[in-house]
Amino acid sequence: MKRFKLKHRDAVSAYVMLIPFMVFFLLFVIYPMIKSVLDSFTNYNLYQRDFIGFRNYVRLAQDKIFLRSILNTLVFAVFSIVPLMVLGLTAAILVNRQSKVMYACRAALIYPYVTSMVAVSMVWLYMFDPTNGMLNKILGLFGAPRQWFLHDETQALWCLIVVNIWKNIGYVMMIYLAALQSVPTSLYEAATMDGAGGFRMTFSITLPTIKPITFFLLTTLSVECFKTFEQVRIMTNGGPVSSTTTITHQIYMAAFSEFKMGYASAMSVVLLAIVFVMTVINLKLGRQLEDL
Amino acid sequence: MRQKLWKYVGNIVLALGVIVTAFPFIVMLSVSLQSMNEIYSGELILIPRTWQFKNYHDAMTNGNWARYILNSIYVTGTATVVSLFVNAMTGYVFARIRFPFRKALFILVLVGMMVPPQVTLVPLFVLVKNFPLAGGNNILGSGGTGFVDTYFGLMLPFLAGSFGVFMCRQFYVMFPKELDEAAKIDGCSRFRAFISIFLPLSKAVLASLAVLKFIGAWNEYTWPLVMTNTGSGRVTTVQLALTSFRNEGEIFWNQLMAATIVTTSVVFVVFLTMQKYFVAGILAGSIKE
Repeated sequence: MKRFKLKHRDAVSAYVMLIPFMVFFLLFVIYPMIKSVLDSFTNYNLYQRDFIGFRNYVRLAQDKIFLRSILNTLVFAVFSIVPLMVLGLTAAILVNRQSKVMYACRAALIYPYVTSMVAVSMVWLYMFDPTNGMLNKILGLFGAPRQWFLHDETQALWCLIVVNIWKNIGYVMMIYLAALQSVPTSLYEAATMDGAGGFRMTFSITLPTIKPITFFLLTTLSVECFKTFEQVRIMTNGGPVSSTTTITHQIYMAAFSEFKMGYASAMSVVLLAIVFVMTVINLKLGRQLEDL
Repeated sequence: MRQKLWKYVGNIVLALGVIVTAFPFIVMLSVSLQSMNEIYSGELILIPRTWQFKNYHDAMTNGNWARYILNSIYVTGTATVVSLFVNAMTGYVFARIRFPFRKALFILVLVGMMVPPQVTLVPLFVLVKNFPLAGGNNILGSGGTGFVDTYFGLMLPFLAGSFGVFMCRQFYVMFPKELDEAAKIDGCSRFRAFISIFLPLSKAVLASLAVLKFIGAWNEYTWPLVMTNTGSGRVTTVQLALTSFRNEGEIFWNQLMAATIVTTSVVFVVFLTMQKYFVAGILAGSIKE
């Protein structure tokens, strides 16, 4: 009887202590998530809300700009992530030494990751500016023709990719550095005794041991790329001619400049589905990799 | 010999990488001190002829920057402190107390962590705008502006986010069971045990979380953009104010870069002094169970 009472009291104090967080969490995270799924089946536009079934989704499948935004997001993700992994790992290997200079290098490489996307966008807007920008001034030194960068339909997305890589190398480096430092040094000592060189050790010891981390980074970065919004909104606002619009930019435009909340919700659900699939793949494959 | 050669190559690559990474920041600093004539000249100038500190003054008086900075400090500071305490307490409950539906509720917390904020952006805005009895709304949530254009509205996502709960839970799970039992024998309530035993032991995790939250909230752009959509600019944060330099016809790059330096300097100082905790926080968030 006494034991039951104690347990009972524990549960009560647990619930009481959970209240402050749970009220906010359920109301402002979970409820909106459910709401966005429900709204996606309506024509909600702040004035009316009628159930229209799957019509939003049918329209999405034919919406050329939305399909373009998916393609842009995919290109953005693939061409950001591959260089990021390579450069981030290289940086991690190079700074994996204990010295004051190395600590300074690490801080310098991480700093863009800490800086706000707004500030980063502003600096790169200047770098890319066609008339007075820094990059054209540098190109001018070599006699190269002026480039239009963000104002050029064929270049704009690549400019955003460059900024994305520049901003996130530090993050990839940080994660890889921790992984490298968790590899037991005895493995390297044994390999040195067997006469293995630096290259051999990288490919036979380092790369296999950091495989799970590589997988973690792949999925995290993919999800991050699919959420890309701020730099698009600030630097190009999706243009020129929709060449840089992303899924989240489309959500924002539909909801806050056209006030088609129902339609925007359908886009949100598509984004949610993509992120959900990526997360599940991460969990499933991640486990398989551990078994290997 | 070959080893040494590779070391040299590595150092050169690293040096180049650091220079390329730092270059935009050098440009930012340089342009913030140049005159518009120098920017328009077409010449590549990195060291201005005369340092125009006036640009900083001009930038800060272009709009009410004292207000923007205070707004950002208030929103960031309050959101960080309040959510830190609430997250720690919630993480403690999930880690140390057994109660019905614990697992189900924690899975919900994990789901909430995975949902991208962009997915809930639209319904969250509608909810905040139509919140019953707030900001002139009636009981049905219409007639007023709800929490739009208020400090509370700006802080909301940071108070409701569940990443901190996850991180604190992972931290509190590691303590031995004897700690709870000792507290129980001394007649401590669960809340007392949290406040006087667990909280003082969690300086490291709270420091990491505080740095992450502070930087995240200070740098936030999307939510303030939506939150002040219809507003008067009363609660404008520094990040939003920064983008307004672009909306005018001619861009004064020197003032824009000066304002950029001012807004990033806060994060710069936090990062330099708390780098250890920042890195620890990022790593703690990436370790899977």
